[in-house]
Amino acid sequence: MQSPVKIWRNQKNIANLVGKTGKILSWTIVRVPPGDFTDQAPYPVVLVELESGKRVTCQLVDYEESNLAFGQSVVTIIRRVTHPDSDGVIPYGIKAKPLV
Amino acid sequence: MKIYVNGAVTTQFGELWGVSPRSLARGSVESALKDAGIESGQVEALFVGNMLSGMLGGQEHLGAFFAEELGLSVPAFKVEGACASGGLALHNAVNSLLSGQYATVAVLGIEKMTDHKPEDVATALMGAGSEEERSAGATFPGLYAMLARMHIQEFGTTEEQLAAVAVKNHYHASLNPNAQFHNLLTVEQVMGSSKVADPLKLLDCSPISDGAAAVILSSKKAKGSVEIAASVVATDSLGLAQRTHLTQLTSTQKAAQKAYHIAGIRADDVRVAEVHDCFTIAEVLAMEDLGFFPRGEAAVAIEKGETRLGVSTRVVVNPSGGLKGCGHPVGATGVKQVVELVEQLRGSAGKRQVDNATIGLSHNVGGSGATAVVHILKK
Amino acid sequence: MIGIVSYGSYIPRCRIPIADIARAWKKDGEEVVRSLGLTDKSVPAFDEDAATIAIEAALSCFTPFHGDPTDVDVLFVGSESHPYAVNPTSTIVGELLGLGNTYLAADLEFACKAGTAAMQAIAGLVAAGHAKYGLAIGADTAQGKPHDFLEYTAAAGGAAFLLGSEHVAARLLGDTSYSSDTPDFWRRDGMRYPSHAGRFTGEPAYYSHVLGAAGRLLEMTGTTASDYDYCIFHMPNGKFPREVAKRLGFSREQLQPSLLVDHIGNAYSATTMLALAAVLDIARPNQKIFMVSYGSGAGSDAFVWETTSELKKIQQVRAKNTLLVADAIRNKAYVDYVQFLKLTHKL
Repeated sequence: MQSPVKIWRNQKNIANLVGKTGKILSWTIVRVPPGDFTDQAPYPVVLVELESGKRVTCQLVDYEESNLAFGQSVVTIIRRVTHPDSDGVIPYGIKAKPLV
Repeated sequence: MKIYVNGAVTTQFGELWGVSPRSLARGSVESALKDAGIESGQVEALFVGNMLSGMLGGQEHLGAFFAEELGLSVPAFKVEGACASGGLALHNAVNSLLSGQYATVAVLGIEKMTDHKPEDVATALMGAGSEEERSAGATFPGLYAMLARMHIQEFGTTEEQLAAVAVKNHYHASLNPNAQFHNLLTVEQVMGSSKVADPLKLLDCSPISDGAAAVILSSKKAKGSVEIAASVVATDSLGLAQRTHLTQLTSTQKAAQKAYHIAGIRADDVRVAEVHDCFTIAEVLAMEDLGFFPRGEAAVAIEKGETRLGVSTRVVVNPSGGLKGCGHPVGATGVKQVVELVEQLRGSAGKRQVDNATIGLSHNVGGSGATAVVHILKK
Repeated sequence: MIGIVSYGSYIPRCRIPIADIARAWKKDGEEVVRSLGLTDKSVPAFDEDAATIAIEAALSCFTPFHGDPTDVDVLFVGSESHPYAVNPTSTIVGELLGLGNTYLAADLEFACKAGTAAMQAIAGLVAAGHAKYGLAIGADTAQGKPHDFLEYTAAAGGAAFLLGSEHVAARLLGDTSYSSDTPDFWRRDGMRYPSHAGRFTGEPAYYSHVLGAAGRLLEMTGTTASDYDYCIFHMPNGKFPREVAKRLGFSREQLQPSLLVDHIGNAYSATTMLALAAVLDIARPNQKIFMVSYGSGAGSDAFVWETTSELKKIQQVRAKNTLLVADAIRNKAYVDYVQFLKLTHKL
């Protein structure tokens, strides 16, 4: 189970990163996932450069194949990050989706 | 003061179901002592390089664990730096000798990975990356895949050229009795293997392995000594998102430049090198970051055979088979690389012998480039 | 004068055609579509839940809002799929919105009318001067048991309404609520899927409460159907809102802009509120809207809204940022039944 205290300490970081626009610098599609992510694979992981210059690594969601491209515009959103244990605190975090 | 490698041995690398970490340690250290021609009582400290003993096996405190197993009641340390744990253990051992506190020490790089499910191993290996990368569900193939994609975009590197790295390393491994793999590969086979993290495929990736390597380091010269002319560590950000460059590993460049300076050599003086090919793209980056080839030109050179045993007139890279062909028991690799260089510089590498090998370089990386360790060895 | 200061909406991107669900159970797809009166329903992504949807709706609501988030004094989230049985969705949302610490937060549950109940309660707090601004959110990732009738309509979505007394874009002219203990649809604690009482969910439940609340509000305001430009009724399927509108004397034209159910199904606590957002997206100033929600168990909340010229600014910002309900309806990707089962965690 993810530590509720760590989740709590991380909230500010998440609040500061949501709703920011940026561009895709690179991407991959993870087809052989780590244990926690087995039921999500395959999924794209992207390296994004936000307008502020800050870079983030996150999953890309709500996408078409054609969105996996250098320079694709994206916006950061909040989603569930890992599959929580049935009795654990739910971790919410930053993902990116293409800007239509 | 000069620092020498007096004894150097690796175990078999591979899926060693019946072999425990204790017997891997005894096998490699006892043979290294014999190779150095000394008794265990002459060892004054033990440095253990390992990453996953705690996360996978629930066992930390490996210094004490292996000191007891090896019958060495001496100062003992576990050193961890992800896949650079072995190189870092060596670096710390070298420093302990340079301090004058010890005259002879043993370094053991060891990893047991096949006791656990691959998904659990993949999760544990992500301990080498950043929290953000873990939350994103990134894996190490995934992180290196993103680097590969940018290298492809910027320099026109092709997936076939990446595949050529695996083909070369499997050829070298076929000549190495201790290697995990002895089968030869073709570019078509690599290209046809299933995708792990686009664009990297199964055969672009080093395997999960068990194995150990041990060296005896001393400030006293002995028969068969090989000198460590430089031992340098450099670090960079933990996660890719915080790097300045995404088509080079700055940590490798920094460590290499400082190592060449300390050893009084240049990149093209190196005749044999063991580099960190955790993924095929990693070897391409290493060729450029170590200064062996100009940026953007290494992939073509590798494809042409310019780093292959029997073909190259410049530098033979990964004669042991590298991480891909020889196997990658994470904590053992950095030490194994030095064992291979010792055999090459002594002229005892058999079918893998590189001609005129007087200067060798080992390159060991932690994570996606957060740590880089470069050793330069001279005969 | 209190009313809507800003509003936001969110519909998940995936859709499944009702006919495909029918075919998976070897039923006649066209017949099911005809009898239920809708075509597609929205499906949440694997990593969405009522909290993430509430956040999207709230962020969308804050986009046209020029005030200070810390002036929001109350936040209620209504849902029947709150991610936790005990732990407020409202503070998860409030923290991420940057509301600060000095606000009243609470979660509401009342089947499909939890969000509109929040709106009425908050209207009262604002009118009493107890809150400068109050945010009411309705958000759901509703689930129906596979092969059950509700599987065709249970959908996902969210809407958020910021109520206040300054720069009001739609004035609240009147509201009322009609409640009774009527067990037409329920879910016991620990059960994964809801249960329902079949045809009992019709006349004694939906119609009785919607007509009860509507009748009372028309009387209170001294109005009839023809006094309104738009009407909105809760949409458990495509038939009920059309029938109840007819009974109350509303025309097809008055009802049409609200009929999201045809495209996205029933997003439970978000349904009536999303419909209000859709109507506000196209309304002109000084138009009147008649709105009645329904929540099983049972009750209906009824509202009369009158738009003002402030609405135009909100519409422009929403259009510019592709936040209109029409944008969300258009932005869709179809999945098949197997993908639908994976996305809703049944596989």
